[in-house]
This record gives sequence, structure tokens and C-alpha cells, in this order.
Amino acid sequence: MATTSGWSRCRAVSVYFKVFLCFLVSTSVSSKQKDSFTEELLIKPLSRGYIYSHFQFTTKWNASLHDPTTFHHFHLFPKALGEVLSRYNVQELHLSQTQGLWRHKQWGYPVHDAPPGAELWVWFRPSVKDVDKAWTELVNAVSGLFCSSLNFLDSRSTIAPRWSFRPAGLAPQGYSVSSHFVRYGTLPREIVCTENLTPWKKLLPCDSKAGLSTLFNAFHFHDANYHSLGLHVRPISPSNVPPYGLFLTTTFFFHHCLQMFCFSCCSDWSLRSLFGNHLASACPIASKTSIMVETTDNEASPAYRLTPTPTWTHTVTRGTGQHTYSVYNVRSFTEVGRGLNIAGTYNDPSKVKELDPPPIHAHRYITGYGLEDGGVSCLITNTLDRNQTVIYMDVLPWFTRVFFNSLTVQNNGLDVPFKVHFTPAKDRVRPYHLELSFNLWPHSVTRVSFSFTRAFLKWTEYPPDANHGFYIGSAVISSMLPTSRQYSAPPLYFSKLDTILNDNSSSYLVRVHSESLVVSLPTPDFSMPYNVICLACTVVAIAFGSIHNLTTRRFVKLDPSQRKGLLSKVKGFFKRSKKEDEVADDSNKTAAAEDAACQEKEEDIADPTEETS
Amino acid sequence: MAAAGVYLLGLFGLLLRVGLNFTHLPSWLQTQNEVVTPLTSWKRVEEGFALQKQLISPYSGDIFHETPLALQALKIAYYFPWKVTGFFLFLDLLTMMFLYKTSVAFVRHLIQVQNEEKKKYSTKAESIILTTDSLAWIPTIVLACYSLNPMSIMTTLAMSTGAISNLTIILTFYYLLQGNRLLCTFFLSVSAYQSLYPLIFIVPVALYFLKLSRPSMPSLVSVQAVSSYVQTCALFFLFSALLIGLSFVSEGSWEFLYSTYGFILTVPDLTPNCGVFWYFFTEMFDHFRTFFVCVFQLNAVVYAVPLAVKFSEKPFFLMFLLIFVTSIFKSYPSYADASLYFSLLPLWKHTFSYMRNTLVVGGMYVCCGVLAPILYHLWIFAGSANANFYFAITLTYSAAQIFLVTDLLFAYLRREYDLYNGTEHQNKDGSKAQIILE
Repeated sequence: MATTSGWSRCRAVSVYFKVFLCFLVSTSVSSKQKDSFTEELLIKPLSRGYIYSHFQFTTKWNASLHDPTTFHHFHLFPKALGEVLSRYNVQELHLSQTQGLWRHKQWGYPVHDAPPGAELWVWFRPSVKDVDKAWTELVNAVSGLFCSSLNFLDSRSTIAPRWSFRPAGLAPQGYSVSSHFVRYGTLPREIVCTENLTPWKKLLPCDSKAGLSTLFNAFHFHDANYHSLGLHVRPISPSNVPPYGLFLTTTFFFHHCLQMFCFSCCSDWSLRSLFGNHLASACPIASKTSIMVETTDNEASPAYRLTPTPTWTHTVTRGTGQHTYSVYNVRSFTEVGRGLNIAGTYNDPSKVKELDPPPIHAHRYITGYGLEDGGVSCLITNTLDRNQTVIYMDVLPWFTRVFFNSLTVQNNGLDVPFKVHFTPAKDRVRPYHLELSFNLWPHSVTRVSFSFTRAFLKWTEYPPDANHGFYIGSAVISSMLPTSRQYSAPPLYFSKLDTILNDNSSSYLVRVHSESLVVSLPTPDFSMPYNVICLACTVVAIAFGSIHNLTTRRFVKLDPSQRKGLLSKVKGFFKRSKKEDEVADDSNKTAAAEDAACQEKEEDIADPTEETS
Repeated sequence: MAAAGVYLLGLFGLLLRVGLNFTHLPSWLQTQNEVVTPLTSWKRVEEGFALQKQLISPYSGDIFHETPLALQALKIAYYFPWKVTGFFLFLDLLTMMFLYKTSVAFVRHLIQVQNEEKKKYSTKAESIILTTDSLAWIPTIVLACYSLNPMSIMTTLAMSTGAISNLTIILTFYYLLQGNRLLCTFFLSVSAYQSLYPLIFIVPVALYFLKLSRPSMPSLVSVQAVSSYVQTCALFFLFSALLIGLSFVSEGSWEFLYSTYGFILTVPDLTPNCGVFWYFFTEMFDHFRTFFVCVFQLNAVVYAVPLAVKFSEKPFFLMFLLIFVTSIFKSYPSYADASLYFSLLPLWKHTFSYMRNTLVVGGMYVCCGVLAPILYHLWIFAGSANANFYFAITLTYSAAQIFLVTDLLFAYLRREYDLYNGTEHQNKDGSKAQIILE
């Protein structure tokens, strides 16, 4: 990976010029404003009636992270977020909250890949002394900001990725050599709901009053197969080199299946059918509002027709692959008072092709049976005809005790050499952190597998529904692809989607999040702590009592006839008091005699003949 | 004749183990919580080797809990014929050898002690006086109790490193009998270094070396006595410090202390085993946890005090009782510990006639041995039972062990009483008297 980071550093220089130019153009338009805002929507019709829509709102702020006065005045950049970033010295922040699982094999790569649940990774600025403390405070702040349970990202689910999560923005020389300043954590069980959408919408300058965000309809979103909220903040220059700047990318993408039970046909779609409404306006603050429809697969043999006619259609060659985009400049439609309702009408559904599988996709699952031992296997498929280097990262909770010596990377039964970074877990303190770097051989499936033993938790450590199981976050597979097949993200170091249209990079960073897993742990009986405590203490007390008895007392000889049982002792007590009465009253003599006879009988019964301790 | 029998017995035990090694039994036993614990599992030792090979400290994780010197030393296991299996068979052979030697020496010791004390015995105790003939079979029985005991066979097959602790304890016992203070304290410190609890065996060791140095038996708290204790303890701590120091040198940090002794003392791993700790601390309320950990750990060692007072003249019986009690109440007990006390148990065969509930205890042992794997399977794999079933069995097993050790204690004391008071106890009127604890 050292080569990649080295590569990224020299890459950074060329990117820096591009950003600079881009910046000059934008400032000439609005020279007074230090920040600019664009809103974009990418629609990608997929096979089987799936539509992928990616909303992206980008705020570029021409300000220095290190200037203390930067965060005194806010314009388009959301103040709530800005204050958190400055308070905790955040260099870069990437948050995603996702519901559902992205199926790379069928759907290709999304613009920002995200695992099920919540994922947060943060690079802190070098000025931070205690990174763990800053992280703890930050997750609490972010958790409040987005109404999510990110505050549960404690040391038990946080790691410092060694190779996988490099800074996405530009960073000072040597900053990212060690992983001292980065923290990564996931909450695979986190559920994304409207309560997360509302605070997220508030970050947008237009809220949902105008522009693309008017299409946000909670009902339609939660109806989708998959939806993901994202937030990405990254500097667009090293801290001490102008132009300073921050990119805030808020993304929302989701996936609709219009026809659940029809696999061969596709049905017509439109903005109205997808979002419940057409687009009536563009955000007046936005410097640009555009909608892009990727029509790559529709070029050779048109299966559907787009209405209205796009403003322009652009074909771009990214690496080895050609991509065609139909671009709509929303303003040109809405300014004349017409609403924009982009629609795809299928005239020949038979021409809809299944997507080619993407270059790399993965499938991960739990192996084993019973609640004792288990294993994790991840099958990574390479469909390219060349070796492809990937970095595999897996984080497992401490209670799945991973055996490092069981780790194997195999391709077709042959061992694949790999480079590994492994941090074993500490009980109740930190998780297992595994990172592997290895080659995927051409047209093959590589299996990463290891085994684990389930730990037994204390009864208070189980969640309320203990038998539901415990979630294990997704594995992350990162790679630099040589081809842009099924790739939809903007080039590295760029944020806006329209940068795709003039992309001339030759490699593409892809991050594939695999399935998250559920493991059941053996459970104790939650209903009987008192019984268990009593019973165990009883057994200990038996030992203590017996040994105490035998070591502190002596054997003595006893005449059984002299020995008195408990009953006779009690009777004897009463007899004595009766005798005293007898002195006073002689008339009860007969009764006393009867009593004595009875007592003798009792003694015979009560006296055991065997020796007892 | 007897010698040939002994060899045959040892050989048969070994062959039995070799034969069973070719079955599926070893792989099954390696997953049985009664046989291997997180402390003694060979799978975890291998994990330690793998981590070390990767230049990751095995102590940075929570899987490996062997001591640093064991980590270095156990690598020799791979140089044995049949690799690790061969290593454990070799350990077994050594254990059998020293067990036999120990029991031969112990029989001699018993007769010697009896001759010294004979004049104090009652004249009516002839029937229970030991003779060389009555003790002749003891070494063979001891050997049989190890070589044919299912528990020790399981320990060997499962490649439990508990076998190493057992061997060091037997060596301690052997050199104690030999009166070799240097080697005895050395092996004692090795076994304490390896599994911590043998630390309290310093009490019988110190008492015996006092007795050896002053056969006339002065007061146990005189200046000479204290100086003898100090000598023994000093040797022990010298060796222990040496071992710990070497560990530090080999590991380069003190991290191992928490992973080994901290792991034993604080009981963070609640994997089921045949002891009383695991379910108790699973179900314990968090704010009482520390208190009860202290109480339970104290419970494992506190018996050294009353027993030492009672048996200050009988250090071997004291040592055996301590071996027994710690193997019941240690935080991660297993069948390896049970196999140790079972193999030493026949040394006190002369007291067995005084035991009262051997049938009940025997039944409990058999029931637990059979039911424990079944109920564990029902809980973990079949899902048709819950943790309470297995817990009940482990409690019964602990209770059985407690009954056995207290019964043995009773039998020993009762026999002592008979030695001094004769076997016939009559009242003044000639009727049979009853002997009770006052």
C-alpha cells in the first residue's frame, strides 16, 4: 500500500491545480461569497426495474481550517456542523446512515458506498493531543446532531484503520503516514428513519423549501429497497497552502424497485413516480442545479426514451469504459415556469440488458453451527482479466474471539500470499482489527476465512432481545480499479458529480462494503441471578462449613444413652418447669409420670446409633 | 513380579492413549470445557505461537494466557515424534514415572512416621497399624489411578497444558519426600509460576522442611522454626523472582502479568467449566462483582490456614488437601486438576475404611461425567436446554468433590483418633460407645 500512498501524494499536486482553476472560475461569478453551493441528482436506471437516484449537495467553502476566525461567520456552510468540526479539530469527517444492503453484483457501484447501519470515520487535525478523547466527544456531538446512536461508538467498536481509510481530501505531507489521527467505527444495527432525515435536511441551505430537496418525500424514501444518508467533509487543500477550502457533500441515494415480481420487464419511471412529485424549482442560492441521467446502457440499443429532451448529452471515456450522460439544467426548465418531470418510457423492454458484473464484488457469511465455534468467510470475485490488489478490512467485536492462526486467503484451493495487520481484541476494551492486502487473480474468486470462538458475556451485557443475536459490521474491500465499468463516483479528490464529465483519470478508488453479519451468542438464564448466587454460595458454604467443623472440633466418646436429642432437651426444659409446679401442686403426679414415660420413648427414637459428626 | 506389573500398567496406559489418539476423541475433547479451559487449551497456545511469529505480542490480546517461559518452552513440542501428541505422551510418561517414585517414597515415609509414633498409639489399635505388606500395592494402585483414569486420559488426549502443572506439582511432592529443599522449592515456584494457586503449597513445604531440620519437633513458632520458614520461603521467592524476571526479559514488558495472573485472579472469561466461578459471575450484579471475586479467590486459598494448624505435623496430608481444595475452587478448574488428586488419592488408602459416603460421591462423579457433555450439547448445539442444566451439573460436580475431600478429611482424623484410642470404643457399662465431634 506504500506505493498507493506515495502515488496519492504526487497525485495530490496535480489535483491541487485543478481545484485552483475550478475555484477561480467560481469566484469570478460570485466574488463576494466565500462559499458556493451546488445541487445535483444522478439517476441511473438499472435492470429489473430498479432505479438508482443519487442526490448530492455540495458546499464549497473557501476558508482555512486553521484560521480561528473561520468559524465565526457562516454563510452557506451549516453552522451546527461547522461548530462541531472546529470544536473537535476535525480534518475530515465521513458519515453514512444506511438502511438496506447494496448488491454490487446486480447494481454496480454507488457513488458513495456505505454499509448497512451507521458508519463514521474521521481524521483529526495534527494539533489534537488525545485522539481517543476527541473521538469520544465528537461521536457524542455528531450523535446529537443527527439524532442517531453514534454515541455507542466507544472503544469496543472503534479502530484506527492502518491502510483502508486514507484521507479523501488533501492533507499535509506525512500526515497520513501513521494511522494515529484516524478513527473508524460502525454501528451495523443502527436503523435509519425519518428522524435522521430531518436533521440532515436542515444542513441544506434551502432546507426542503426549494430545489432538488423538494423531492424528499419520507414516504417514498422509506419505501425504497435501499437508502443511505451521507455526509462528507474534507479539505480541498493542505492547511498551509491556498486555496483553503472545505467540501461538504451531503448525499442521499436510494433505490427503487418499481416492479417487485417481474424480473424480465421494466416499467416506465418518472420523477413523479419515484418521488411523488415533479421538480418545480431550483434552489435560488445554488450556483448550479442539474440532473444527470446515466444512459450508457441505453446507447447501443435504446430500450427507453427520455422525456423531455435533455439539455445536452455527453459521452465521456473514463479509463477503458465509455459512459453517456444526459444532463438537464434544471434552471432552464423551471425559470420558464414549467415543472420538470423527467421520465423514461420503455418501448422495447426486451432490450434491457442485465448489468455486467462490476470488476470486484464480495459476499461474506458466517460458517459453523452451534453457539460455540464459528467462522467468517468472504468470497471476493475479480471479473477483470488482470491481477487486482485489494485491501480487506474486517472489524470483529471482542466477544467473537478470532483465532489469527486460522486466517487463510485462498484462491481455488491455493494459498494467496498476503500482507497482514492484525490487532487482537481485549475483552470489553477493543475489537479485533484485521487488515489484509493481497492480489485477486484474474477471473477468480478469492476466499478470506478465519474462525472464532464465541465468548460468554455477563448477563448485564446482553441487549434486551438477547436471542436476536449480535451484529458484526461489514468488511470493507478497497481497491484502485483500472476500469470504470459500473463505476459512478466522481474522480478521486473531486466532489461534484459534473466533474465526471471531463474526467481523464486512469484509476478509480472503489470501496465495497460486504454484508453485515449476525451472530447468536449463548445466553444465560436471565431470570435467576438470585438463585444462581444462592446455589453457588451454598456449595462454597458446604465446603467451608465441613472443613471448619472438622478442623476446629475434636472427636469424643459419647454414651448413646447419655445423649439427648433436641426433642428430649425441649421436653426436659418443660419437665423442669413442671417439676417446679409439682412442688406446689401434688395432684398432677400421674400426669408427670406419663410424661416421663413418654419422654423415654422419645429418647429411644431420637437417639441415632451411628456416629455422626 | 510387581515391577513387571508396574511396567505393564504404565505401558498399557500409554498404549491406550496412543490407540485413542487415532479416533475422533482428541478433537472432540479439545472442545470440551470440562477438559480444557481457556488457560490450558492447546489451541490457544498455537494462537500464541502464530501471533508471536507475526511479531504481535500474544499478551496484547485475550486469547493466550500461558506464561512467557511456557510460550518459549512449549515450542519443543514440535520436535517430538508425532509432534504435540508425542510431547504430551512424553509428559504423561514422566508424570507416571514420578508418581510411582513418589508413592514408593511415600509408603516408606508412612512406615517411618508410624515407627516413630508407634509408642504413643493405643494397644488396641493393632488392626489398623500399617505394615509393609498392607502398603505394598499402593504404588501400583497410584499408577493405575493415573494411567487408567479416564480424566487423565482425557487430559492427555485433549493436549491440555494442565498436564504440565500436574507434572511440576508431582515433582514438588517427590522432592519434598526426598527432602531436597532446593529442587522442591524450584518445582514449587515453577508450578506457582505456571498456574498461581500452587503458591499456597509453600505452607506444607515449609512445615516439612522444619520437621526435617529438627526431628525433635520444637515449637512451630520458635526462632529456629521461623528461620527455617524464612529459608524455604526465600528460596521459593528467589526462584519465582528469577522466573518472572526471565519472563520479563523474554517478553520485554510486564503485559504478561495481567494476561496470566490477572486473568486467573479477575476471572474475565466466563466460558463454562466444571467450577463454581463461571455462572456465578455471569449472573453477578456488577457492583458486587469485585467483592465476590475477592471472596471466591480467598475461599480457594483460605483453607491453608485451618488445615495448616490442624495438620502441622502431617505436611503431606496437608499438601494433598490443599491440592484437592484448590482444584475445586480455582477459577478455571478442569479434569486435569481432578486427575492429579485422583492419582494421589490412593496414598491414603489406609483411611478409606473410615469414609462414609463413597457410594454417593462415586455416583455423583459418574453422573456428572456422563451428563456434563450431554447437557452442554443440549444447551449450545441443540438449543433444547438452557444454561441452568449445565450449571446444575457443574454444581453437583463441585459438591461431589467437596464431599470427597471432607469425607477423606473426616476419615483421616477418625483413624488418628482410633490409633490413639484403640478401635474398640466402649462405655463404662460395656455397651458400644459413639464417637462424635465435640
